[in-house]
Amino acid sequence: MRSPFTQLVCLATVAIGTLSSFKALNFFGSDPRADEDHSQMIAEELPHARPPRGVPLTITEGTWLRAPGEEWIIQQNELARKQGLEPRFTEDPSAADGEGAWIDSTGFIQKRYDEEEDFWAYWQWVGPAQLTRGRRDFVQFCSSCHGLDGDGYGRSGQWLRPSPRDFRQTNFKFTKVLANLPTDDALKRLIKRGLDGTPMLPWDLSDEQITDIVQYIKSLSPEGMGWRDPFTGIGSIVEAGENPWAGRENFAIKHGEKVYHGVAQCMLCHPGYVNPRDLPGLLDQPEDTVYRENLYLPVLKDSEYEVLGEKVKILPPDFTFHTIRSGQTPQDLYETIASGIKGTAMPAWKGSLSEEDLWALAYYVQDLVEEYKDKPAERRGLMERLREGL
Amino acid sequence: MSGQHIHAEPTNFFRKHVFSVDHKVIAKQFLWFGLIWLGIGGVMAMMIRWQLANPGEPVPVIGSMLFPRTNGVLDPATYNTLFTMHGTIMIFLGLTPLMIGAIGNWSIPLMIGARDMIFPLLNCLSFWAMFLGGAVGFISLFVPLGATEAGWTGYPTLSTTINGVGSGETLWAIAVFLIGASSIMGGINYMTTVIRLRAPGMTWQRLPLTVWGIFLTSVLNVLFVPVIGSAMLLLIMDRVFGTTFFIPASIMQGAGGGDPILYQHLFWIFGHPEVYILILPAWGIIGDLLSFFSRKPAFGYRAQVGAMVAVTLLSAVVYGHHMFTTGLSAMLGESFMLLTMIISVPAEILFFNWLHTLWKGNLRLTTPMLFSMGVIFVFGLGGLTGIYLATIGTDIFLHDTYFVVGHFHLTMAASALFATFAGIYFWFPKMFAREMNEFLGKTHFWFTVIPLVTVFCLMFVMGYAGMPRRYYDHTSAEYLRSLQHLNKYATHAAFLLGAAQLVFVYNFIRSRWWGKPASQNPWEVGTLDWTMETPVPHYNFKEIPEVFTGPHEFSNPDIPDGKDWISMTEKLKA
Amino acid sequence: MNRINSLLAGVLSSRWMKALAVVGMAGVAEAQGGNRWAPFPPASDFGHRFSELFWLITILCSISMVIVVLLLLIPLLRDRARPGHKANYDHGSSLHDKRLTAVISLATFIVLDAWVLAIAMKDLREAYWNMPEVDQAETYPIEVLGQQWAWHFRGPGLDGEFGTPDDILEMNQLTIPKGRPVSFQMTSKDVIHSLFLPEMRTKKDVNPGSINKTWFKPIEAGEFTILCAELCGYAHYQMFGNLTVMEQEDFDEWEESASLLGIAAYDPEDEEAQWAWEWEE
Repeated sequence: MRSPFTQLVCLATVAIGTLSSFKALNFFGSDPRADEDHSQMIAEELPHARPPRGVPLTITEGTWLRAPGEEWIIQQNELARKQGLEPRFTEDPSAADGEGAWIDSTGFIQKRYDEEEDFWAYWQWVGPAQLTRGRRDFVQFCSSCHGLDGDGYGRSGQWLRPSPRDFRQTNFKFTKVLANLPTDDALKRLIKRGLDGTPMLPWDLSDEQITDIVQYIKSLSPEGMGWRDPFTGIGSIVEAGENPWAGRENFAIKHGEKVYHGVAQCMLCHPGYVNPRDLPGLLDQPEDTVYRENLYLPVLKDSEYEVLGEKVKILPPDFTFHTIRSGQTPQDLYETIASGIKGTAMPAWKGSLSEEDLWALAYYVQDLVEEYKDKPAERRGLMERLREGL
Repeated sequence: MSGQHIHAEPTNFFRKHVFSVDHKVIAKQFLWFGLIWLGIGGVMAMMIRWQLANPGEPVPVIGSMLFPRTNGVLDPATYNTLFTMHGTIMIFLGLTPLMIGAIGNWSIPLMIGARDMIFPLLNCLSFWAMFLGGAVGFISLFVPLGATEAGWTGYPTLSTTINGVGSGETLWAIAVFLIGASSIMGGINYMTTVIRLRAPGMTWQRLPLTVWGIFLTSVLNVLFVPVIGSAMLLLIMDRVFGTTFFIPASIMQGAGGGDPILYQHLFWIFGHPEVYILILPAWGIIGDLLSFFSRKPAFGYRAQVGAMVAVTLLSAVVYGHHMFTTGLSAMLGESFMLLTMIISVPAEILFFNWLHTLWKGNLRLTTPMLFSMGVIFVFGLGGLTGIYLATIGTDIFLHDTYFVVGHFHLTMAASALFATFAGIYFWFPKMFAREMNEFLGKTHFWFTVIPLVTVFCLMFVMGYAGMPRRYYDHTSAEYLRSLQHLNKYATHAAFLLGAAQLVFVYNFIRSRWWGKPASQNPWEVGTLDWTMETPVPHYNFKEIPEVFTGPHEFSNPDIPDGKDWISMTEKLKA
Repeated sequence: MNRINSLLAGVLSSRWMKALAVVGMAGVAEAQGGNRWAPFPPASDFGHRFSELFWLITILCSISMVIVVLLLLIPLLRDRARPGHKANYDHGSSLHDKRLTAVISLATFIVLDAWVLAIAMKDLREAYWNMPEVDQAETYPIEVLGQQWAWHFRGPGLDGEFGTPDDILEMNQLTIPKGRPVSFQMTSKDVIHSLFLPEMRTKKDVNPGSINKTWFKPIEAGEFTILCAELCGYAHYQMFGNLTVMEQEDFDEWEESASLLGIAAYDPEDEEAQWAWEWEE
């Protein structure tokens, strides 16, 4: 005779069996796995990570990475003194090679000699413990987009344009420094702020965690590139200095419009925001000047950044439509325009344009964003004006 | 009955207190284990509430000690871990051991007149499997790359290696698996004990409702915990051995081809009965206690048992209401909506009978009675708000908002917790031969029920206003910033609720060692556990008692000596 | 049956029901920007049905809860133990009691659950399940791709076809026309997300490996919220976006210029960036 228990077990088996067969018969709704068309979504032959197993989490060796030079160290110390703090770096004469070194909380910086190249450069020692911490935080927080090896091809990074950075290419777009590579502080600010309109969020991580992650990211540079290249330049975020237009913002916008379409020729890549018929008047150019076609649209530009071995192209933003990645205050815009965007067609404008022009451009772009972005009726009016007579 | 020998009492410390096979010792082990985990889970809840009210500020007092790397601030990863582990701990390591482990182990043999569980060794194993599960869960908090962060539901693909390659999630799955194994062992043991070891005369219709509740819970445990066990096994295989049960082909570049939705079905086939696993013993306990302290028979005993059985049967076929937004077909959605509505009928029968039990009684408002009446109140609130979530139209908006959080905390957390407290206050004199302080107990009740209802009713408002759950910081999105004030109120109430539990801890510890010695039957009830001497001797009954009356014969005019209660071993006049 | 249906419909669409929903929303309009206790008013046609159903359930539940509390309070005050007071000996096992139990439980079920169920079914069948066919000219289709932690939206652009250069790609921002049904097909790159549009009173999971569908019809223009409602990892709380509902004429211009910008950004060599799938019928 069957006990009630056995009967119940039989009942449950039947119930679960029924449910699974429902599942097999697509009873629970559409299941595109059965659908051939769906497979087109699956880009085949991508070097995509399978479910990771045995991912290395410990780094056993420390490394030397390029650091900014003595000038920067002295500047940092002065900055700290101005704020009434202890100097950030202290000199450490006992360091190896007898060349002296500077120590701060993240490690120490030393001037070292490269015999092959006959070259003196400043290098920073990063220990294995810090790299391991950075590695672990990187895997936990960054790897979904930037990949487990920092190759910029994590699971959530595929199909994403602009693509997440491949740290082995040591090409950083929004560092806001004039030199080739940013200082640690510049990178840390980037991580803390994030990039607007992208999945690179403002990261709520502690200062210590971000420091570790930054050191790890730097250590991903291949031999002879990026932070392992003795000749590379490392710089701080470009300084905005005095705002020459303070209190005269309206004039700045007017002036900025001229600079944008005139001296700086921004409209060669970005859209022009004045109807071509009115441009000669604005810029004091001959009436029959010919401008590029479809001036109201941006032009696709090459970049140095590679995805899967192919150089990708980047569309310069239309400020009335796209989100500006690196901040929308005049200060942010000044920094971006002055320092350029690395690896793209956007050059560093500091030096080529006067401070007044740079600030004017910043105000003009900010005005464009404020006036037209996410304002359908206003933008419609602008677009009608721009296309009039074309 | 067969197999009920009297063994010699062990003298070895380990045999007596650690690896004991005596159900009373195991019940106390479960009790301490559950209370400690309840405390840990409670502290986690306090930290979660702190973060929600004061996003990004260091947790006071314990913060800098627990999170030195962030100077006491909870980072989002830690926050995710906290609510995941809060859920897991409260359900699997707090309420399950307390309600099923402690109260079940204590009351079943004593209430049915048995010398021990039918499988004493399995009973011991059940506790130690759970202990091991708890240990693994605890260790998982400290592994590199962080502990589990996928919510207590652990939905793939978030819980697979696609999100995190650390071992925290794997250890969490192993812990749940072990705890599940413990529950199955306990369930088999309880069911068999109730079926086989009832004292002569203890018919199914004289079984106290507590035992009925735990018996039906055991049935659900044995049927549905294996499902979560298998889901966890598959998850572990996906994580460790590279299978793709839950990882779809599009993520795997064409290889594999599992389905994350499959996990959701597996999880909720278990997950919904789990709600009833926690609530059925609670219903049983309060069904008894309401009768005991109203000095009135349990109104509609058969109807109550029938309703509980109906809930047990229906619990398996309503789980789809957890998945209304996953893309169930219209037909399934409507079916699950209907079935979910139908399960409210037994609940209505229970409510009617409980309230009728109180009607025209002679209410002794002891602490266990207050907590039992508290269950009616909070389960009423929780159960009624279930209607919003059973209805697809409203659930689409309310799903995964704080409305759901408020709902399930009132039903399965607060109701089960109140019944557990009622049970602890009720059986404490028999367990530890000392009485708990009534004044402190009542203080505990009032300072628990008021903030508790405040917290979770505020959550209904938050959810209705559109606040999603599991957000680290509700001030990040413009839409939610205007709701932040509700978070502040809820946190104040939650801290009050947490502080009130200190009264219980103090009362429990003080009464355990320094309380007034308890008499044999302080509550004046007739069930078998109160007929034996205090403290309960090893192997309970020298002679197996014979039962002549039901458990709820209060105020029967046929009781001799003018008492209003009669022991189940006594006969009525006439 | 039809008569009952029409009766229910009559009660639901009656003025007091609507007025109640408005009262429920009161305070919200004033408190915009400040503190609020209720959601912003619904902006989709289904949203209004939600509000009415919500308040119906609230009324029924409040009445039930008041009854339960009264039945707890009366014995609490009246029947407390005192010397000389005896409890009523009643097992509740008589036929009368059994009938009472059955009648009251069934009556509660009918008033509380069956009523709600009937209206819910009506709403679902009349609105929610009626997912618009895509070949209907007025439906605006959107493909959604979720990822950790951003929303990608792909509109078909001027040619109405997906996977062409003029597709409109937006991130964390969705622009749709007012007054037309908007149909979504959604999938995810990595983990499960859930597209939650609180003002549209809609929500649907975005599952990796399968395409989920939903739709709604916005009936008000303006700026609204997009949230993620399913735990998706570290930055779940930052995965939000902005929904813009435009008047049709604004939308036409927007669609054209967005399409042109899409063509400008199109790089035929970068195949990997084109993640559109064929619209499923």
